[in-house]
Amino acid sequence: MADSETQGQPQAAPIAPEIPGIPAPPALDMSWARVPTARPAKPTIGAEGFTLKMADAGEYAYAPDHWPYENDTPRGSYPAKDRGLPAPYTIYEKAEVWAENCADLYEAAIREQWKPATQVSWSSIEPLPDHIEASLDQIFSNISEQQYNSNAVLMGWLKEISYGYHEVKLYLATQTFDQARHVEAFRKRALANGGGLGVQAPGFLSRAVFAAFKFTELTVYVNIIRTAFLLALCERGDAIGRSQADRQLFELTANDLRRHLAYGVEHLRHYLLQGDDAKRRNVRAWLERGEIMLAADLRRDRPLREALILVLGGSVQAGKTALRELRQAQLRRYLRALESATFVGHEQHVNPALTEIIDNP
Amino acid sequence: MAVSPGILQELRKESGGEDLDLSWLDRPLAERGLRVAPGKRGLTLEDIATSSYGAIPASTSNQSGRMRGAAPRSDAQHTQMIWPSKAASWSESAMLLYEEAVQRQWSSAVDVPWADLPDLPEEIELAMSQLCTFLTQVEFIAGDVPGKYAPNVSGEYFEIGLFLASQIMDEARHLDVFRKRALANGIGLLQAGPGAIGLLTAQDFTEMASTLHLVGEGFVQSMFRMGEMFAQSEVDKRMFRLAAQDESRHVAFGVMHMKYVIEMQPERRDEIHTYLDRMEGQLGTGSAQAGLTGGGQTGEALAILLGGGTSETQLREGYLKLLAIRKRQVNEYMHRLEVVGLGDRRQRMAPMMQALLN
Repeated sequence: MADSETQGQPQAAPIAPEIPGIPAPPALDMSWARVPTARPAKPTIGAEGFTLKMADAGEYAYAPDHWPYENDTPRGSYPAKDRGLPAPYTIYEKAEVWAENCADLYEAAIREQWKPATQVSWSSIEPLPDHIEASLDQIFSNISEQQYNSNAVLMGWLKEISYGYHEVKLYLATQTFDQARHVEAFRKRALANGGGLGVQAPGFLSRAVFAAFKFTELTVYVNIIRTAFLLALCERGDAIGRSQADRQLFELTANDLRRHLAYGVEHLRHYLLQGDDAKRRNVRAWLERGEIMLAADLRRDRPLREALILVLGGSVQAGKTALRELRQAQLRRYLRALESATFVGHEQHVNPALTEIIDNP
Repeated sequence: MAVSPGILQELRKESGGEDLDLSWLDRPLAERGLRVAPGKRGLTLEDIATSSYGAIPASTSNQSGRMRGAAPRSDAQHTQMIWPSKAASWSESAMLLYEEAVQRQWSSAVDVPWADLPDLPEEIELAMSQLCTFLTQVEFIAGDVPGKYAPNVSGEYFEIGLFLASQIMDEARHLDVFRKRALANGIGLLQAGPGAIGLLTAQDFTEMASTLHLVGEGFVQSMFRMGEMFAQSEVDKRMFRLAAQDESRHVAFGVMHMKYVIEMQPERRDEIHTYLDRMEGQLGTGSAQAGLTGGGQTGEALAILLGGGTSETQLREGYLKLLAIRKRQVNEYMHRLEVVGLGDRRQRMAPMMQALLN
């Protein structure tokens, strides 16, 4: 502890001011060095460097179920007596945001960050038939728009999360930055090869994302529903893309989306396991709302439907078959995520509006 | 540029093609035919802000999720929470700074040579841990605050949203790296302060740019740029250098936003001065954390680091160096004010800061 080393410090006289009007600094105090916080062991740095998980060892790892400080007090520090304004944070319960994998996902996200301007082989893109290029651009426009929505709304939620759960805030920062790069990269691709942006999305799911009352609700819409469906699409990037650049875009984005889904699954799992039946009912309601909104988007978005048909098949008929397969793969991705989050058996309860558009895309 | 009618006719004639609409190919409502090639810095946002896609409107009635240049649809969902004015959030440097942010990301886990952290005298290590406790406390406020406004930024001005995401990422890394530094050498976190919650009271993007970017981050940037003076090892030097480089982008974004607002909406000058009045009051007198020369735990920790110890001589030297940092902070702030068009603030500045002006 610092106490024994600092308590007996001689008190120096206040130091005279050098500039008129500037108050003299006070005598040595160092009371801050005597606060009873934990002294961590020195870490042994390994191949992955000094990770957040290594840093937050021992007492520093403990994230309480309820965070008691209404300002930006860092977890593990000694709270100030005068904490000033209580902050506008609204989330003080661990169950509302926590996921056990946050610290790992945060470090992984930083390791795996990619740079759209220079890491995509833009010069590999060859001219394509107009209708194929326009179809690809319609798909890219849709991805760019939906990621802008996820990104903007998620950034707005950061100010709700209290400081006891810094791992969550840090992880979410990486997710917003990933989504920003998706907005950027797919827009660049849409403008790179003789095309342009397509038609905007109807925006039903985006509206639900804006309207989320609870953070877990937002996670259901963004990290589970939207991400599962987009990930399944990106995982078919070989069938959709026409160039090395296209395939890189899908592959790199899919890698990011797997982290986003992993956070969503682990958070939902934590939320469900920490809660009672009411929490399960909440999740059911959010899933139903999200499914209805997604179905409304898919049903109304004719440009996106037709673009996928034209891109996925060598003929219209083959494209329609491939689109049905894509939709089924998306649904499977989504249901698998729910099962991993301990929300099992949802297959029988998917909203009919969504199953209808999956079966008849 | 529409797709050839012959191709569309063939598609409709195909088996299964009877229910295809294809009007979005036949009569596209967004500009087509653009072919943008990557330049020396790759394919950048500035490269693709061209033709109609680079026409950034001064105002917009777009309350949907439509991105600039995309074709509208009549049934798109609206939110009525999007700011209609470009001046509400625009910064001419956003595209450039975002691209730079993407290129210059770093990792607190591996880009700081943690294994080389030397054992330091305990009073020095305590002081560094206290400084880092302060920094880890306040850094992510600079992520929470811009995040607050992101949902209001229209897809017409999406570059602003992207830049804000890059700032949030940077601030996360700062929270992280200073936390790690406090935990790296056997001391741990120490005394938290009142923090920087006050910045979250901003009710307007320009108020945020005034208080957060122009003042708060600007002062931190000046301090980090002088990190060589109080860093105790290559580990600390590297940490402050990397963080300073990030802060420079945030400050540049804010400066360019303020410049744009003052040029486009000169009637807001007095209002902006009031935000600065408030911040200077806090910096000059009110806050023990931010009043670096006035003491407080952070001021004392910095003085110990700058002077190399806690003896009277060392402390005196430390506080004199701290005063030099403070002078630089205030003079660099004055320079930013001149750049944005608020040079008249020299006469209006809080007296304790004014005393430090060259």
